Amino acid sequence: MTGPAPVRVEKALALMPELEALAPLRALLVSIARPDEAALWSSSGPYLTLGKRGVHPDELRRRMPQAFQRITEHLQALFKAYVEALECQQRADAPGVVAALLRAGRLEEEVGRHTQARSWYEVALGVAEALQDRRPEVEALRALGYVCLALGEYAAGARHFQRSLALAEAEFDQAGATAASEGLGDVALAQGQWGGAQAWYSRGLRLAEAASDAPRAGRLERQLGVLARKQRDLAAAGEFLRRARERFEAAGPADEMAGVLNEQGLLDAHLGRYTAASAAYREALAWAQRAPRDARLELSIRLNLAELDLEAGRLLEAEAELRRAEQVAIGGHVIRRLAQIYTLMGRLRGAQGDETGFVFFEQAIELAKAVERSVATEAQVYHAYALFRSRLGQQDEARAYLERARELFDSLGEAVERERVEKELRALSA
Amino acid sequence: MIPQVRMEPSARSAVPSKEELALLRILVVAGEGGSAGGLLQNLRQWADDGRLEVDTAPDLPRAVRQLAGQRWDVVLAVLGEHPDDDLSWWVDTLRATGSPRLIAVAPAPSMGLVLRAEKAGVLDVLSLPLRREELARAFERLRSVASETALPLPLVEPHAVGPYALVGQSPAMLDVYKLLARVAGSSATVLVQGESGTGKEVVARAIHMNGPHATGAFVAVNCAAIPENLLESELFGHEKGAFTGAVTRKIGRFEQAASGTLFLDEIADMSLALQAKILRAVQEREIERVGGGETIPIDVRLIAATNRDLKEAIKQGRFREDLYYRLAVVTIRLPTLAERGDDLVLLTAYYVRLFAERYGKKMHAISDRVLELLRAHAWVGNVRELRNVIERAVIVATDETLRADHLPDELRGEETTLADRPQGGLLTLAEAEARHITRVLTHTNGQIGAAAEILGIHRNTLTRKMKEYGL
Repeated sequence: MTGPAPVRVEKALALMPELEALAPLRALLVSIARPDEAALWSSSGPYLTLGKRGVHPDELRRRMPQAFQRITEHLQALFKAYVEALECQQRADAPGVVAALLRAGRLEEEVGRHTQARSWYEVALGVAEALQDRRPEVEALRALGYVCLALGEYAAGARHFQRSLALAEAEFDQAGATAASEGLGDVALAQGQWGGAQAWYSRGLRLAEAASDAPRAGRLERQLGVLARKQRDLAAAGEFLRRARERFEAAGPADEMAGVLNEQGLLDAHLGRYTAASAAYREALAWAQRAPRDARLELSIRLNLAELDLEAGRLLEAEAELRRAEQVAIGGHVIRRLAQIYTLMGRLRGAQGDETGFVFFEQAIELAKAVERSVATEAQVYHAYALFRSRLGQQDEARAYLERARELFDSLGEAVERERVEKELRALSA
Repeated sequence: MIPQVRMEPSARSAVPSKEELALLRILVVAGEGGSAGGLLQNLRQWADDGRLEVDTAPDLPRAVRQLAGQRWDVVLAVLGEHPDDDLSWWVDTLRATGSPRLIAVAPAPSMGLVLRAEKAGVLDVLSLPLRREELARAFERLRSVASETALPLPLVEPHAVGPYALVGQSPAMLDVYKLLARVAGSSATVLVQGESGTGKEVVARAIHMNGPHATGAFVAVNCAAIPENLLESELFGHEKGAFTGAVTRKIGRFEQAASGTLFLDEIADMSLALQAKILRAVQEREIERVGGGETIPIDVRLIAATNRDLKEAIKQGRFREDLYYRLAVVTIRLPTLAERGDDLVLLTAYYVRLFAERYGKKMHAISDRVLELLRAHAWVGNVRELRNVIERAVIVATDETLRADHLPDELRGEETTLADRPQGGLLTLAEAEARHITRVLTHTNGQIGAAAEILGIHRNTLTRKMKEYGL
């Protein structure tokens, strides 16, 4: 009467070759995967990961038209942008060509296709370079800078932003110069170059204030707050965030407000103010609820909230929040963040002294390699895995995982995290 | 004969009196883009008897701020353009912020929304424009819920099993204890069968602690939790470099359990290939590490457990018959919580004390309503689910008595009187069907397969109907 059992995701994915054409099917399969009903209260329930979820082939078949519709809509929008570019070309409206091509790139970015977005931006840049008006070129370079940042290509990103800044300044394009400064600050921040980030953000803030560009000034203040927290100047961080909040609270977009409060939560957590941090995250979630749906933003807040609960020893709440984050990631097609969720799940089990928690790290490593394809994430997972093993007294395995993490951070040229790993290796040997 | 667990009202009631609870503090939250002005004005007019204290928040973020700052009894939230999303957001948020009850207000609430709200424990769903009598009925319901009598926790004598305990004196559990006492003294392999959350691992530990291998380690492996490709090396160990990721030599669980007990939980989830290897280990009493050529003798007592019907799995070719007979030398079947009668009360008392101590709280009583709700609930997850519910309740409890509003919304939802809607009207066939499906789904904790079985329809039919009714 109950029909055949669902197929486990790990088995379903093993049957699917790594073809780009199948990416939407893969995403659909993952998004409809549900925990096995029978396992929810079983002793393996607490260890459920994506791979252990189940899918019904008939449900996949039923949902396929929805996936086709989304693909069709995306392709239609891309084709439309291209035709518009062509029409602009026909009218000899080169800035229009650039604008249409950039729009196509943004559409690709929205669905996480960064490499494809870069191709559109490169074509747009080629057109823009031949123009007398340099503003389209400034914009194309900025778009390329951000897509490189998303792809982890920091040096290339910095080069694009530098060019964008030089052109904007030459053209007295203040908005372009502000945006390029912000981009350069973001690259420096991602690389852990605090001094550079400070200089670029401050410069951007001066320009934004001079131009009375309140939203951008608010964003730059938030970034300066992030930077100050990372540099452990917590008083300055609080001041920057307060100012950013004031700017956004008046009339700012809800997602920006959510971003500032998310950062405020991190700062409060750093200061050991758990209640304040929790309240900030809850309010951030409320702002995110008001903004257009953004699973990435919601996920980021929920992960911070879970980490806060974890650090405060509220393990039950941490687990509930992580399971909600898992659902947001799976339902919202953000499976790239699952590695981070499962790493936190593993840490939680470690805090409970539960050896079977290793299954979360194993799943996170698999996801970091196969889905997220991020060496940085893989290194972070190995680092956390080592601490988990060490906590359970398995020092040989802990050392092996720390060495693997160090090797991976080395390959990225990452200095800050590498030093942390090195320190733990020394402590383990002592 | 087992004495019935009696619970008399406490002389020192920790539950506030009805009069003390008469004043309701209400936070009215406008929907996105809307205003709570009209609503607030109405409420203030209706609150002239002094039993309502009303404040307002212009939007969700400000409401969250106000919820963090003060204590509220009720949130009256106007749902926005996406009522389902808003509703689940509110349920989620209130669960984390001191749990005031929720009254959801929507311009034209759909049947799906009402039923979902009912399932989530929402006090009521009202349609706009608000009618005074409907709102008054919802508040009265809340006041009647607030009137609870404190009952002192009964004495419990748990049998300690390491970090766990066996609690219960029902006839079904006494049978388990007797069998456990008979089997523990031998080295026989034992198969423990029972639904999820009935305490299979605790029983396995009890067998170990009272048996000849008690001085050795008790090593538990959850076969369903571990990815299939890692389970073999987890059980048998591996040599360094045996496969990618084998960074060090690993001693498997069979070896870790030397002279002790190896507990293989959820054994039915193992692949046939691995079942063959387990069979060899049980028969030959020796293993080989993955990537190693050496044969290692093992002296281990094996206890296996499953929540599945292994004989059915054998028929379907998913479980080896020879392994089944090797494992099921003695079989212990554990009763469900529903089969254990008043053990529910003893377990509740045990867990209240356990978690009160863990979280540094003083708790001496539970309310009569909590007891009613616990007795009425379908415990799909058995003792594990009860433990989970009590732990959460103790965490949120602020006084010495566990009260209904400390329980999760899903349990409280079962007491709300949404079921008597629509007032005075008769249900259409579709409404009755949707309502019944919701009730069965609540009973099975959302398990579609189990619900389909109860309803006597195919799960695909049930899925279609759920979609049709927006459930």
